[in-house]
Amino acid sequence: MGMQAGGGGGLQSEINVTPMVDIMLVLLIIFMVVTPFLQQGITVAIPRDLRNPDEDQAINKESSVIISVPKDTEYYLGKKKVNLEDLKAAVEKALANKKEEDKIVYIKSGVDVSYGEVVKVINAVREKGVDKIGLVADKKKGKAAAAAPAT
Amino acid sequence: MGMSGGGNRAVPYINVTPLIDVLLVLLIIFMVVTPLKPSRFKADIPTQRDPNEDLSKLKPNPLTLVVSISTDLQLKLNQDPMGSVNDPSALAAKLQQTFQQRKEQHAYKVGMETATNIPEDQRIEKTVFVKAPRALKYGDVVKVIDAIKGAGANPVGLQVDDLP
Repeated sequence: MGMQAGGGGGLQSEINVTPMVDIMLVLLIIFMVVTPFLQQGITVAIPRDLRNPDEDQAINKESSVIISVPKDTEYYLGKKKVNLEDLKAAVEKALANKKEEDKIVYIKSGVDVSYGEVVKVINAVREKGVDKIGLVADKKKGKAAAAAPAT
Repeated sequence: MGMSGGGNRAVPYINVTPLIDVLLVLLIIFMVVTPLKPSRFKADIPTQRDPNEDLSKLKPNPLTLVVSISTDLQLKLNQDPMGSVNDPSALAAKLQQTFQQRKEQHAYKVGMETATNIPEDQRIEKTVFVKAPRALKYGDVVKVIDAIKGAGANPVGLQVDDLP
């Protein structure tokens, strides 16, 4: 990042990179700050490096129903903390205008949450006619599905 | 951030072309990276049953596969022990073998025996249920689901009634 003063001769034929670097850094910082806000729901330590989950862009959609369970007995619908009773009502409301095949509830649960908590959430949503859930998990980067082609 | 030129010989200006080049490349990189590709396991859960319904009329399906996890992280496929949560390869291999056998024997899903318009692979009964005790960690359950999915099971169902 040295800046050599031309001084001597007539023309300075060097590109001044300082403002460019300035702007790049600012952009980088902006993106680093904004990126965490793009996800739906709150940040949860979801299971990582799994081989076979399916990609689903709908998880990032504003309209999809995402229940996060970061810790035992803490439930979030989207970014709002709710208790189990409110959760039922809110899920029913959120799914009311959806077509039957789109009635899917995504569950983002931390790896250390006990399975019983997840079962409680499942029991709450199935009362509202949901029979499909999506367990949000992180797919291993790089070559996937090393084991087992489907058939 | 001014750039004071030396004297009044040349009009100083910043050459913005390379700057714009780099910025556009950066932008494109971020636009590609940002949608983070979220993924999920689809799982079926039972709908709420009418408590007055007569369950005795339901016939048990002989092709049902249930993977149960015990509290000490051992796996079972129906009644047979199949390794543990940390090494589900035995389970995956057995499931794969089972599906392969079913394909050879044309063991179709109920109601799909004659649906020849659907590809063969989708008609084979590959439903697997997962039964895990409530005390287990969610992460372990997902690991098992990952292995089951890898063996080709579809759909995966979660058993949520009568869990220990």
